[in-house]
Amino acid sequence: MTSNNTVSIRIDNHPFTVEKGLTILKAAEQNNIYIPTLCAHKELTPYGGCRMCLVEVEGARRFLTACTTPVEDGMVIRTHTDQIQKERREIMELILSEHTSSCLICEESELCRQYMPTIRKAGVTTGCRYCPNDDKCELEKVVSWLEIKDINHPVYYRGLSVEKYDPFYDRDYNLCIYCGRCVRVCQEVRLANVLAFTQRGRSTVIGPAFGRSHLESGCEFCGACVSVCPTGALAEKSNKWNGVAEAEIQTTCALCGVGCQLQVLIRNDKAVATIPVDDEFVNHGQLCVKGRFCVNELVNHHQRITKASKYQDGNRLQIPIEDAIAIAAEQLKNCPPEDFAMVISPNCSNEDLFIAQKFVRTVMNSHHIDSSARLFYGNGFNDYLDLMKRTTALSEIGQSDVILCLGLDMRFGRSVVGVQIRKAIARGAKIITIHPNDHSLALNAELWIRPHTTEILDSISQLSNALLEKHEPITSRLAQAADLLNAAKNPLILMGGEFLPYSNSAEIMQQTLRIAETIGSAIVPLPAQNNLHGSLLMGAYPELLPGGIFSDEPDNRKKISDIWGMTIQDFTTDWNLNKIFTGKKLKVVYLVGELPPIDEPIGDFVIYQNIYPPEHGAPPNLILPAAAFTEIDGTFINGAGRVQRVQRTAPPPGDAQPDWQLLCQIARKMGATGFDYKNHQQIQQEIARFIERFKKFDRKPVVLPKHIKLQLEPERSSQLSETDGQSFFVLTIFNSEHQYRGIPIADKAEGFKKLIAEDSLLINGSDARKIGVVDGDQVLVSSDLFEKSFPVRLSDNLQSGSVQIIQQRFQPFNPNPHPVKIRRKDV
Amino acid sequence: MANQNILLNFDRNGANHTLENYLKRKGYSTLSEKIPNMKPEQVLDEVKKSGIRGRGGAGFPAGIKWSFLPKDSDKPVYLICNGDEGEPGTFKDRVILEENPHMLIEGMILAAYAINAKHCYIYIRGEYGFALQRVQQAVDEAYRAGYLGKKLTGANYSCDITVHKGAGAYVVGDETGLMNSIEGKKGQTRNKPPFPAVEGLYQCPTIINNVETLASVPWIIDHGGAAYHSIGTEKSSGTKLLSISGHVRKPGVYEVDLGYPFMDFLNKDCGGVIGNRKLKAVIPGGSSTPVLRPEDCEKITIDYESIAEAGSSLGSGAILIIAEGSCMVKTLEVLTHFYHHESCGQCTPCREGTGWLHKIVKRIEAGQGKMEDLDLLTSITKHIAFHTICPLGDAACGPVDSFVKKFKDEFIEHIKTGGCPFGGKFVRFQERV
Ligand SMILES: Cc1cc2nc3c(=O)[nH]c(=O)nc-3n(C[C@H](O)[C@H](O)[C@H](O)COP(=O)(O)O)c2cc1C
Ligand code: SF4
Ligand code: SF4
Ligand code: SF4
Ligand code: FES
Repeated sequence: MTSNNTVSIRIDNHPFTVEKGLTILKAAEQNNIYIPTLCAHKELTPYGGCRMCLVEVEGARRFLTACTTPVEDGMVIRTHTDQIQKERREIMELILSEHTSSCLICEESELCRQYMPTIRKAGVTTGCRYCPNDDKCELEKVVSWLEIKDINHPVYYRGLSVEKYDPFYDRDYNLCIYCGRCVRVCQEVRLANVLAFTQRGRSTVIGPAFGRSHLESGCEFCGACVSVCPTGALAEKSNKWNGVAEAEIQTTCALCGVGCQLQVLIRNDKAVATIPVDDEFVNHGQLCVKGRFCVNELVNHHQRITKASKYQDGNRLQIPIEDAIAIAAEQLKNCPPEDFAMVISPNCSNEDLFIAQKFVRTVMNSHHIDSSARLFYGNGFNDYLDLMKRTTALSEIGQSDVILCLGLDMRFGRSVVGVQIRKAIARGAKIITIHPNDHSLALNAELWIRPHTTEILDSISQLSNALLEKHEPITSRLAQAADLLNAAKNPLILMGGEFLPYSNSAEIMQQTLRIAETIGSAIVPLPAQNNLHGSLLMGAYPELLPGGIFSDEPDNRKKISDIWGMTIQDFTTDWNLNKIFTGKKLKVVYLVGELPPIDEPIGDFVIYQNIYPPEHGAPPNLILPAAAFTEIDGTFINGAGRVQRVQRTAPPPGDAQPDWQLLCQIARKMGATGFDYKNHQQIQQEIARFIERFKKFDRKPVVLPKHIKLQLEPERSSQLSETDGQSFFVLTIFNSEHQYRGIPIADKAEGFKKLIAEDSLLINGSDARKIGVVDGDQVLVSSDLFEKSFPVRLSDNLQSGSVQIIQQRFQPFNPNPHPVKIRRKDV
Repeated sequence: MANQNILLNFDRNGANHTLENYLKRKGYSTLSEKIPNMKPEQVLDEVKKSGIRGRGGAGFPAGIKWSFLPKDSDKPVYLICNGDEGEPGTFKDRVILEENPHMLIEGMILAAYAINAKHCYIYIRGEYGFALQRVQQAVDEAYRAGYLGKKLTGANYSCDITVHKGAGAYVVGDETGLMNSIEGKKGQTRNKPPFPAVEGLYQCPTIINNVETLASVPWIIDHGGAAYHSIGTEKSSGTKLLSISGHVRKPGVYEVDLGYPFMDFLNKDCGGVIGNRKLKAVIPGGSSTPVLRPEDCEKITIDYESIAEAGSSLGSGAILIIAEGSCMVKTLEVLTHFYHHESCGQCTPCREGTGWLHKIVKRIEAGQGKMEDLDLLTSITKHIAFHTICPLGDAACGPVDSFVKKFKDEFIEHIKTGGCPFGGKFVRFQERV
């Protein structure tokens, strides 16, 4: 029956009723009729370039491309006549006359398939050197479906050199079939407009326009192009030659607070690659460079800790895991509560965090548990938490008409949010961005307010005042921003990481909150830690118990004690992580995925539990091998408060185990009760007694309780020093956002170093010329309060006069920013 | 009967491009005198009645094309004048653009009125620097005189014209390629459907016509569609600009009534083949149209039907005369090179196929061809033609098929003797006066 919305068609002599407006290809697919395609892709607009999908339509003068032609009522379509097949073969031969096709019509192709499952063996066994796409090649599938055994045209090899210099993926355009999928995904889906067809006709090459490099043209290295490429032209460096995945398991990315959904590709019990999941809440089929390309390198790096070890006379000795647990239990047993501390990473799962604090509170009878977030957010932490309490789902971006972005750069980290912002812009939303540097939003924003690094707070409070209609003189751009925000129906504020390390970050956050309250907008802070929320709600801070309630209130302690059936120590401590810089040395310190940034031993006995060995400082006494997030079952809470699952996609290497399992074993060894969990679900059931949301995982957000507040010491000066004269630069120091369990991502995923220069002095090119330094030079950066040397990296994103350093390892720098002198170090 | 001068209604030595000169020729009188008393539908009707067929190459009746616009759309309608003039051998639009731009502008205002377009574009190929300058001057003059802009002089509607400069690609002569180019995109054509009349420039209904087509509109409205229809033949009404080049004594642009005998045109109007040589071949409508042998040309008249009957097409009206003594294989090599070079590369058959056509013809010309190559050529064209996104692929095949068919001996001779009997050069004959 045809109705208003459907049409009747015949395909290959079968009648079908299909939705109006569908293409012939979609109609055929819905009815399980195969039409070969190369340039069509389900997420992209039809292109009609490859001509593989030609079909015969009765009454049409020529064959029509199924992928572009909409169905019409009464259409009679034939997809497999001899003539069409012949035509397709001919067209395929034309494609192959230019594509290195030896692989496709290779006599060894049967053998090749046979040996394919053994990684890299195929090439070795059959002598093939052609294509890294092995069994994943869509071209190969169509070629064998068309039963092409030979081609009539001589092969014309373009002889283009393979582009290998950019990080993460290689480009061999000799294998390109001009299907344009990569160009379309870059333009239509990512809205990044980096890739284009350059030149024309047979000289066409895919790439950024005007011969610029990918890095120069704003490529976000999101890998969307690599995912859609049907050939081996675009190939992921770290997953080349790996062949087809054996399994795919969905999990949550743990590399930042956005919490994207990932599909982990598994081969030989290893997470070999990660691709995005079309998730309706968070990432909508997108990933950033970290989620797409860094996860596999991060979890598979050869330096992973696979065995427990202890240090004896300065030597590291591998020991059986049981022995290590016994040693830990022994040390902890003899440690008085006030001489113990645990530092745990906000990258750990809720289950890990919950067990860790339960361990500290019930086994160690202490409240000494803290996370590096305290150092990362400094004395603006509470004000940042106030923003988090107003957080809303990221998908709000889709409804907003004016979006105020503060210190937010989404080129590499969080580029999935960047895509959503660009979609919003395409829809007509207006972006106001406040950022001292050139950044990913600069090009697309309606208004880019660019205060100097020393004037951030001034700008934001002036904007806030203008919104409150305090008539102060302000710049015309700020006035324009105020007008836009005032007129907005659905304003939204996004807070990035740029202003967090500033000494006056607390005031910046307060002013932001004031703006939000004035214009009635939600705020999406985008924390760097994937489970900051969880660390607060699980109670991984001295001040907070599970559920985020204060530990210094007897009622709260009683409530928790009742649930656990154990008494919890009074809260008498003023210990927190800041004390490692000033406080007394402790007896036993247990580091779970953390390495405090000091070189002296922080305790008489240090237990270090992580996925990589410590990079700096005095060696720990005991090392326990932990599992990475791709190897555990559990949950994380993303920046917007969504409780999301992580799943074990591959076994942890060697003796490595999830943190909670190691902790439970130690607790049991110490004779403690209440640590007999069989699996993560049992822990979740216990968490559910504190936090309702854990009863049922529907990914709905949990809200951070309004009262949550930590006891911060105003130890950072909030006064910015004045700049003085020409000879000074203003230095801002950032703590790297790109870390997982205290491990810099750039250390394990090589390519990341090319994108973000950490531990280097970033300086504008003209400034560098002024002081006579070039890229790579060593300089001494000094002020009354600071002196250190760094290699120079030029970055024209910076304003003249301001320099910055992204430090991998936290070091106090007060006030931040402040004026420094820079001088070339003579070699 | 003498040929009429509808488009070339000026003294070829005067300063015809100015508004002043055009006004002297009763310019803009149709707009100011006829339009106030005509409804848009009436204008459309007259154009339909005139039977004028598109002069860009495909010969589609303009009035019928205009009536394809959706009636119920609330989107703006655009009118585009196609002045890309890229077809090799074609240079007739250039004369209008350079010498008679106001007639084109008036035609566009009338057409815009008929189809309710408020904004028009004139797209001129980048190489036509002088034409661009002249047209822009004329548009500026027209704005100053109130013929363009808000509330046109003598009429109660508005019309704007933007002059757009092309960036040098044959394929943007195609309607959809041209629209992409105006939109600032790469000059690549679009898949159809959607057709431009429904979803064209900026995804709005769009009508696109050739310069000559639009420049004929003032005369049609002034004298009535019937008067125009009475010129020429039943199916090819009106006059046609012809650009004749090659081995002809008086190359140039001529205006003839359609139905004019070809041999008369060649011998009487254009002075015959250069150097009194024998005619060897004629490409009658631009490089994409199949080549004709002299015997095919004897009986033909210059109109759509007659040339179609002879197996070719009037196309854009660009006539290429090839005299005895020139090499057809070399000529084809030049043509295939052109199409290969101009293929946009979007679709497989054209991108790869045109390359192979050129390579094979080149190798025959170089004396390295094989007999199988002739079949290979026709088999490749079979797979290109009608299998591409835009007609450039088809266009590339027209010459190949016809050259091989009509001058097969010459190809065979190249292959058999292993070289070019004409010395492998593209011959330029010069007439000694
Ligand atoms: C490859 C290609 C090139 C073309 N070049 C031109 C051109 O230069 N000028 C032109 O008027 N039409 C050209 N056309 C035809 C146009 O697509 C279109 O049919 C014409 O502009 C319509 O106008 P008309 O109906 O007035 O002829 C070309 C078509 C193709 C496929
Ligand atoms: S690089 Fe890959 S996706 Fe891009 S056009 Fe070439 S084959 Fe298609
Ligand atoms: S945005 Fe964050 S969560 Fe998403 S892929 Fe990137 S690092 Fe992972
Ligand atoms: S036929 Fe040629 S010019 Fe036309 S779209 Fe295809 S490749 Fe481009
Ligand atoms: S899939 Fe339809 S043309 Fe490529």
